[in-house]
Amino acid sequence: MNFDLGYMIEIFPRIIEYLPIVLYMGTLSFILAVVIGLVFAVIINFKVPVLYQILLIIISYFRGVPTLIQIFIFYFGLPQLFPSLSSLEAITAVIFALSVKNAAYLSEVFRSAFLAVDKGQFEACDAVNMTKWQGLRTVILPQVLRVAIPSSGNYYIMMIKETSLAFTIGVVDMLARAKLESAVTYKFLEAYLTVGLIYWAITVILSFLQSKLENYVERPYRKEATK
Amino acid sequence: MIKIQNLHKSYGNTAILKGIDVEIKEGEVLAIIGPSGSGKSTFLRCLNFLEKAEKGIIQIDGEEVNLENFHKSQAVKLRGKTGMVFQNYNLFKNKTALHNVSEPLRLTKKISKKQAELIASDMLAEVGLKGKEFNYPVALSGGQQQRVGIARALALNPYVILFDEPTSSLDPELVEEVLNVMKAVIKQGRTMIVVTHEMEFAKDVADRVIFMADGHIVEEGTPKELFENPQNERTKRFLKNYLSLHNFGGVGI
Repeated sequence: MNFDLGYMIEIFPRIIEYLPIVLYMGTLSFILAVVIGLVFAVIINFKVPVLYQILLIIISYFRGVPTLIQIFIFYFGLPQLFPSLSSLEAITAVIFALSVKNAAYLSEVFRSAFLAVDKGQFEACDAVNMTKWQGLRTVILPQVLRVAIPSSGNYYIMMIKETSLAFTIGVVDMLARAKLESAVTYKFLEAYLTVGLIYWAITVILSFLQSKLENYVERPYRKEATK
Repeated sequence: MIKIQNLHKSYGNTAILKGIDVEIKEGEVLAIIGPSGSGKSTFLRCLNFLEKAEKGIIQIDGEEVNLENFHKSQAVKLRGKTGMVFQNYNLFKNKTALHNVSEPLRLTKKISKKQAELIASDMLAEVGLKGKEFNYPVALSGGQQQRVGIARALALNPYVILFDEPTSSLDPELVEEVLNVMKAVIKQGRTMIVVTHEMEFAKDVADRVIFMADGHIVEEGTPKELFENPQNERTKRFLKNYLSLHNFGGVGI
């Protein structure tokens, strides 16, 4: 058997050094996806004329095109049309592609979470004369969040993993680093397995944090009396 | 004083309210009875703009809105004169009993969080829920939830409290506790409009009863007049059905 555990331990610090860039790309993309997704959800919910029709096409497009191809289109393709984009950094292109694509998916998550809130909750806000914004902030959005957190959390984890596509356009992340290391030693299994295990560990940690968060927002809806 | 003139409301081509005229004096308790689909709940919901009636004039405690031509701020002012108790309670599910009462106060009356909570805590004690302040709605019985609903409406100190079939969703053994709280509220001299199927309650506590059917006010009078000596055929039929259904027998419910 030809497996060098010592080598894995040796390159581990050199690979995990690039974890921050992975988390940065994934997290920033996720935050942007949430913001854009909320805007999309509002446009769809209120069927804003013109914008709504355009948006349906955009969403259909981004759901249909593989992420890797989308990244290539943004990074290699767009500068051809807009020369000013030729200075577009690879990382920016990845974040851009990931956030718009996942915004398309998240908009559906938010929209259905919004629809899941009982109509009576809106009426109660109106009846006590809260403004639309006061009602949204104190009553409606917390209940939307409760429904939206489980699936949004899954998208976050997926996006973290999808950032590994970034190495294809020259971003040096954990995967790129592993590729460089193994190119010298030919110990591919050890190098790629190290990256894989790190991604696995991140996923486990994030899933754990997500379930903690879910428990927290679920508090008001559990039967026992709470302080 | 509340004065409603010629109120019309329809959904699409279906007319629900076909010209309602009512006057209610300050401190008066008005009960509205009638078959399902008669428009009694819709009427109530038009008064605080949960439904927008398309024609008529609503006047509550000096605020007047002509429904064919009004500004949103007028509707907000008018709504501020009303409090609502819903059939399905509609407590804020993400808030404790205390915050269900205090948050509307804090947000709409611009008072401090602490003071709002003090008032809310008093209100909850008033409806017999001392010790339940930190329960979320899910940890309260239907009767308790409805009492929080009443406390929430009371805390805002509105000119009139609108009750939309407040006991219709409750298990029979929980109806009593809610009716008792309502009786206590009536003793405070509050103006109330109660849409209800609780005929005995209407008979006991209302100053005046309106019988509605098919979007019209068919008959109105004191409980004694309406229940014991109804004039209109439609009213007679409704009360007769109700009596036989509830097996009360005898006269006067």
